[in-house]
Amino acid sequence: MTVFYRRLPKFEYVSPKSLSEAWEFMQGTKGIDYQVFAGGTDVIPKLKRRQNQAPKCLIDIKGIHELDYIRYDANAGLAIGALASVYSVAHSCLVSEHHPALASAAGKIAAPQIQHRATVAGNICNAAPSADTAPALLVLDATVRCVSVSGERIIPLKDFFTGPLQTALSDGEIVKEILVPRSSAGPDSCYFKLSPRRRLDLAVVGVAAFVRANNGVCEEIRLGLGSVGRTPLRALSAESSFRNARITEESIELAAKTAAEGCWPRDSIRGSAAYRRAMVRVLVARAIKQCLSGKPLGTLC
Amino acid sequence: MEKYSVIGKSVPRVDAVQKATGDAKFAADLSLPGMLWCKILRSPHPHAKILNIDTGQAESHPGVKAVCTGKDFGGWTWGFMPQTRDEPPLAVGKVRYQGEGVAAVAAVDEETAEEAAQLIRVDYEELPGVFDPEEAMKPGAPAVHDHVQNNQSWEFHMDFGDVERAFEESDIVREDRFETGRVMTGYLEPPAAVAQYDSNGITLWGAKQSPYFVYRHMAACFNLPLNKIRIIQPFIGAGFGGTKNDSVAGDFCSVLFSKRTGRPVKFVYNMEEVLKTARRRHNFIIHSKMGMKKDGTLMAIQQKSIAEGGAYTAIGPLTLYLSGALTTLPYKLPNFRYDAYRIFTNHPVGAAMRGHGATHTRFAAEVQMDIIAEELGIDAMEVRLKNAVTAPHETINKVTVKSCGLTEGLKTLRNTELWHRRGKGGASGRGVGLSAASYLGGARQLGHQSCAAVIRLCEDGTVNYLTGATDCGQGSDTVLIQIVAEEMGLRMEDVSIKRVDTAVTPCDPGSYGSRVTILAGMAAQRAAQDVKSQLAQFAANEWKVQPGDIEFRDRKAFVKDRPELSMSFEKLSKIACYSRSGAVIIGRGYSQYGLERYDWDKGLGNPGTSYSFTAQLAEVKVDLETGVARCENTILAHDCGRPLNPLNVHAQNQGGTVQGLGQTLYEEFLMDQGITRNASLTHYKMPLSTDVPNIEIIDIITQDPDGPYGAKEASEGCIVSTPTAVVSALKDATGIWFKTLPVTPEKIYWALQKKKE
Amino acid sequence: MKHIEITINGKREELDVAPSETLLEMIREKLFLTGTKEGCGMGECGACTVVMDGVTVNSCLVLAAEADGKSIVTIEGVGTAEKLHPVQEAFVKHGGSQCGFCTPGMIVSGTYLLKKNPRPTEEEIREGLAGNFCRCTGYTKIIESVEAAAKMMGEGGDS
Repeated sequence: MTVFYRRLPKFEYVSPKSLSEAWEFMQGTKGIDYQVFAGGTDVIPKLKRRQNQAPKCLIDIKGIHELDYIRYDANAGLAIGALASVYSVAHSCLVSEHHPALASAAGKIAAPQIQHRATVAGNICNAAPSADTAPALLVLDATVRCVSVSGERIIPLKDFFTGPLQTALSDGEIVKEILVPRSSAGPDSCYFKLSPRRRLDLAVVGVAAFVRANNGVCEEIRLGLGSVGRTPLRALSAESSFRNARITEESIELAAKTAAEGCWPRDSIRGSAAYRRAMVRVLVARAIKQCLSGKPLGTLC
Repeated sequence: MEKYSVIGKSVPRVDAVQKATGDAKFAADLSLPGMLWCKILRSPHPHAKILNIDTGQAESHPGVKAVCTGKDFGGWTWGFMPQTRDEPPLAVGKVRYQGEGVAAVAAVDEETAEEAAQLIRVDYEELPGVFDPEEAMKPGAPAVHDHVQNNQSWEFHMDFGDVERAFEESDIVREDRFETGRVMTGYLEPPAAVAQYDSNGITLWGAKQSPYFVYRHMAACFNLPLNKIRIIQPFIGAGFGGTKNDSVAGDFCSVLFSKRTGRPVKFVYNMEEVLKTARRRHNFIIHSKMGMKKDGTLMAIQQKSIAEGGAYTAIGPLTLYLSGALTTLPYKLPNFRYDAYRIFTNHPVGAAMRGHGATHTRFAAEVQMDIIAEELGIDAMEVRLKNAVTAPHETINKVTVKSCGLTEGLKTLRNTELWHRRGKGGASGRGVGLSAASYLGGARQLGHQSCAAVIRLCEDGTVNYLTGATDCGQGSDTVLIQIVAEEMGLRMEDVSIKRVDTAVTPCDPGSYGSRVTILAGMAAQRAAQDVKSQLAQFAANEWKVQPGDIEFRDRKAFVKDRPELSMSFEKLSKIACYSRSGAVIIGRGYSQYGLERYDWDKGLGNPGTSYSFTAQLAEVKVDLETGVARCENTILAHDCGRPLNPLNVHAQNQGGTVQGLGQTLYEEFLMDQGITRNASLTHYKMPLSTDVPNIEIIDIITQDPDGPYGAKEASEGCIVSTPTAVVSALKDATGIWFKTLPVTPEKIYWALQKKKE
Repeated sequence: MKHIEITINGKREELDVAPSETLLEMIREKLFLTGTKEGCGMGECGACTVVMDGVTVNSCLVLAAEADGKSIVTIEGVGTAEKLHPVQEAFVKHGGSQCGFCTPGMIVSGTYLLKKNPRPTEEEIREGLAGNFCRCTGYTKIIESVEAAAKMMGEGGDS
């Protein structure tokens, strides 16, 4: 960059009050003709840095109040509306009780001022490989309900991330809510974030786990990894190695080792690929043990 | 100890309310009618010839009032010494670091200036760059400055005693390589100023720690006499040395634009710009050789430093000098040899920063001493107590210490529970470390070094205190008012200080090298004494006594030993001011060094007026699987002579400690072929509230005979001692000596892995 | 330009703002409330912290247009020299400020924290201030100031 910008580039601003109004503005190509935003904590800095060309129009969806909710239903499970803030999810007793990994992950994002504005939906739509809520939502088998003028579809979160900072959202489509099935409810999930400082840092490595055991055998395991691939990912081979296995130090270590071998970290300013791979191994073992311990890590609600 | 009314008291800062209400105005808060905005266009290349600059499109952009390039400054360059004036306001002929200013625009608002700056077309011919000083020193390396051999910016040598013989006589001799890392000051307020050029000359309201440096720069650059340059200080959002002691491209360009357009011009940098282009601490590679006898007596230190200077010389010569001159404290050292080389590279400029010079070479010496002591089976506390300097002391390079609380500080730490946790961490990853450091106060450099004060008595007995000394957040305004109030027997609120305005306040070099309390304090005392002696004449007349019998205390003037002869200070002021057709009582004073021998080229003599001493314990907790380390507790036993304002001294020590901690565990610029890859506050990691340890500060009182009321510098010592205390703690926790900073989690992890093998 | 209505420090204001104008720029340059500072402009330092509809936000990341209909509190609304808020008083007394640049944002975060949690632990204070960067103080006296303010307010001071 040859000019260090303090001001934003020029764009139009609209704030629709309903989804149908929003779709009217969402014409053309996303990122070029329009950009949807809620909290703005990813979108505004990028615009300031002139990282990409400024879209013609910024669409502020915070006026669509129907999207602001966290609902839990004993049958359907958890539904997080597009406008639910990171802060509200982190501090929600519902989320902490039923899906601790998600509350924990949300709570680890940045710092208070950011959490008050940022949304969980925005965190996954930004689709950074380091997004904290992503590994947690992956292990909770989350799906994303996307709506457009032509209808709606539900995309499993694991298919939602298509590349670094890229999602499966089409032009004219917006995330309405994130759904976590009832089957993922329980105290047996957690999220660990590795970073030098306790706050503000992006994850060097992020690890989420969901583990169910019965009589010393693993009934179900899901492992989510952040910052070690082009997208947040599930460590499927590691899961296979541990699912239905007897739970021992060795089997935990095998799962951890398999997870470490089955990811694709890069060298970056946050850490070398080799270190990140090693940290996956350390944190997966820790996360599995944490889930099995039955002891909550501490909640914010 | 004497009883003082305000000295030694934790009085709140005189500007605390203004800061707490948001009323304090900083440079970026200022505006003038008709003001234009200045924006700098910077080079994308670390090393390139400037073939052509086409400003036509920018100039004709609506709202643009002026455009300039390096050529508009007529070939003028500036620098710390006459022979090192190598830096132009904007690049001329070629650019030497990524982000160097190449052109600038003045426009009716900042958005327009930003848009227009991008319309300036610069044709570059990229040149191969050098990004490693050891590579840059080799023959055939690309030359950052033509005609400079082997990219050597400066060199400095010291040779005292006989190191060769001392090594022969030593029982252990070690050689180790250390590196202190790429870090910077980290002030939160980006550089900003409003400039006005009119028939009065130049007026600049700017965030400047040394306004009188800027006034000289502007006078030279714009060919005006000093009395036409007015640098006015708003509040300053911290400095810590480096950029805010200097002028920046924005200052020169804004003044130039104001001259051209007749309108005031403002610039404000952004944080990414600061992280990429502002002055930072030099990265030093230090080859340190140390000899010790088996009883722990330190025999000799020989060090060779390669300092990465970046693209220009700036204050580099002083950095090299201080990095050697201060190595002979805080331990008795009979033999010392130092060879230091500052090397140009195509990186942003290395300059001064808190703990200037000492943070590099003393880091190396302190850690190495511990390594050797460990080899000899001597406890870290014992080796320090054995070698610690005691007052009075003269080092081999004739640095004179008149007060020293180091031994007392060490012994105090030895009695703490924290010290007793050392060696007991086991496999928990906990460790406790010890270090000691000394730092100068009352810094001297070459050239004008005096502080002056003017005290103007108002007829109602209140006082205006004018000083050129700069409070850039360290609290000097408060402590100087304490000194004036104490000296004159007044309350804090009777003394009003004005912000520095070079047209009105007397000349002063500014804030660096912990000089303000000591030297501006000395000047303030003298000015106060001048006012008192003038007033004493009037009192003496009233009471028919000698002026020497008059004392001032509790807002009164009275005759010594005859308390019935007293009157209020206000009444005496009225008498004095209204005598005959009116008298004007103005006191003045300035600080001066003695005439002792001082040899800049040899590193001989005192680089300051006095030296603080700090002993420190630090406790870390390391996650032995991930390498993530936290400092959880630290205790500092520091000797600053006597804290004139304990609240402020503690606060400053806490700040310096955390700044030092940042540079030990978290901060580093990640450079790649001249590009700064982590220029944001998320990726250049400075400690946040959740990262800081519990910090306990213990004052060791030594009453320095030279400082005002016994004071010496406070809080530069702790930025020298903190890295070594933490490294020592990491050794206790992991069994590993870390010799390069920062000690990041990844570094710790790999070192632990290597240790296992 | 968009016409907006906001309440700022208890006063209603009507302004015209550009779509790409930030709330921080509007506060500082249109309302001339310069107490709120720009440190990094990217939401990483908290110097621009204000309270918007009851929660702290980085005003550098909020568009002025988004503030339409909202209530904003800046440092100027926290207290004045004549009547300092207990947090401000504590900062003055306990050395919570050095250069003062982070202070407005720090105090806004501190008052917000105590409003939500009148008796925070030291750890909770640290967490509550984690979005406010300071280079001068090392945070110690800032944390002590917030603790002192909590005590003052608990003993029947203003809230």
